[in-house]
Amino acid sequence: MLGELRELWKFREMLVTMVQREMKIRYKNSVIGFFWSLLNPLVTVAVMTVVFKYLQNNPTPNLGAYVLAAYLPYMFFQLCLLDSAQSVLNGLDLAKKIYFPREILPLTMIVSNLIHFLLALAVFFVYLLGVNILFPGVSPFQVTSLWLPVLLIVNIALVTGFGLIISALNTFYEDVKYIVSVLLYLLFFISPIMYFSEAVYNAPVNKSHPWVYTLYHLNPVATLSTSYRKLLLAPQPVEMRVTHNGVPAVETYPALAMDWTMFGITAVVSFGLLIFGYHLFNRLKWKFVERP
Amino acid sequence: MSALPAIELKDLRKEFMLSHSGINSLKTMLTWWRKRKIERLEVLKGISLEVMPGECVAVVGRNGAGKSTLLSLLARVYKPTSGEVIVRGRLAPLLELGAGFHPDLTGVENVFFNGVILGLTRAEIQERLETIIDFSELRSHIDTPVRTYSSGMLARLGFSIAVNIGADILLVDEVLAVGDLEFERKCYAKIDELRAGGATILFVSHHLESVRRVADRCIWLSDGVIFQTGDADTVLGAYVEAAGAAPPVQELP
Repeated sequence: MLGELRELWKFREMLVTMVQREMKIRYKNSVIGFFWSLLNPLVTVAVMTVVFKYLQNNPTPNLGAYVLAAYLPYMFFQLCLLDSAQSVLNGLDLAKKIYFPREILPLTMIVSNLIHFLLALAVFFVYLLGVNILFPGVSPFQVTSLWLPVLLIVNIALVTGFGLIISALNTFYEDVKYIVSVLLYLLFFISPIMYFSEAVYNAPVNKSHPWVYTLYHLNPVATLSTSYRKLLLAPQPVEMRVTHNGVPAVETYPALAMDWTMFGITAVVSFGLLIFGYHLFNRLKWKFVERP
Repeated sequence: MSALPAIELKDLRKEFMLSHSGINSLKTMLTWWRKRKIERLEVLKGISLEVMPGECVAVVGRNGAGKSTLLSLLARVYKPTSGEVIVRGRLAPLLELGAGFHPDLTGVENVFFNGVILGLTRAEIQERLETIIDFSELRSHIDTPVRTYSSGMLARLGFSIAVNIGADILLVDEVLAVGDLEFERKCYAKIDELRAGGATILFVSHHLESVRRVADRCIWLSDGVIFQTGDADTVLGAYVEAAGAAPPVQELP
């Protein structure tokens, strides 16, 4: 594996050029070009704020920020997986003509999506600043935001591991990308993106079976979503509708602290997946061009 | 010549798997216990060859003889089934018409893209950029997307890149015939110049005139083995004679 990495390092300029090319052609023939990348998260947060705050009358202050803090990493995860799934097949014409480390194909997708993700995060912080100016005292910046690079490194390891596995398998079995898109759709609901992980923690099923919450967070995307929220935003108590002896009531649960143990497990899983993914990719990559 | 060969092939074999059901669906993976018909196609059956630096070798042979597979193995696109490929020096495959070009990118952007694939750094490409543009004679079009180029223009640009990156070994697969007469002449002049500079050239062609014109040595590949090797006139003479006497070409499956 070290030899493969050294080879990849030799071709780093190709990766840079491929990423530039990818960024250029994505918006080449559009008028406002690169701003589409920024527009997507902005529109998302606007719609979510309107829906949750005004249409659903959700009392949580600054809800848009909490949704965005989990939604942006989820989008990053989703786009990386879907783009890298097709990447080797799209690059096969080139790969049939000339040698280059094949992993450059999925890595191009991951790096360009990472750049979009970082831009979206920048927009997120601008949004926080705007909310802070308009509504003083609401969810100021957190010192724990300084952990962001650590979160990003684990997140990148996770998407790269999955990206390599999926791109290699999809080259031989094109069903893989359909399976992945269905699983991503489910993942959106079983991860705390449109709701808070405190809701799971305080759910009756977790009270009777305390392992549910742990199992829930063994999903690395769930743990990452929760961690982004905990580290980037102020702790947020969660209100839940409950029934006490048949009488409906609303209870407020305190925010849980950042769970570093679960995050540690996720980090180990992510890096394990990265190593396994690269190993699998290297085993299969010479067969890509000979695909029957 | 005391130098080591630029290209060394040792008993090179390459086999492809032909699967009639295809393995590109999960259905076949899930029904793995069913016997699938996998045919093996042996394309190269033991090729041993040495090409010295500065030599220009042409490969001729019928369709399906394994010429392109041989070049692909040299370009490290495939891994050999067995045997060894040793390449000493920087190798530049002359890509087929516009392969490695992105239609939406401009000529210059594609020069950079092609250059890094061929193993140059961006700084090295920047140094050569003017030479490449001049050679291609496409200066007035170089900032427009290559989707607006004609096939001849694409071939010019591709050829200019490949011959101007300072490669030690050039692999040419039947691409010179697309430019106009004038450009073709220019290409052969450039090839002569590269050879004089010590570059090694391996090329595949059905165009016997150009083989006679540039090749020091000619290899006749037939059915995956080297059938005959020698100076161009001798081998081509026998090749043409055999083509005339041979039974009608079998249809490819």
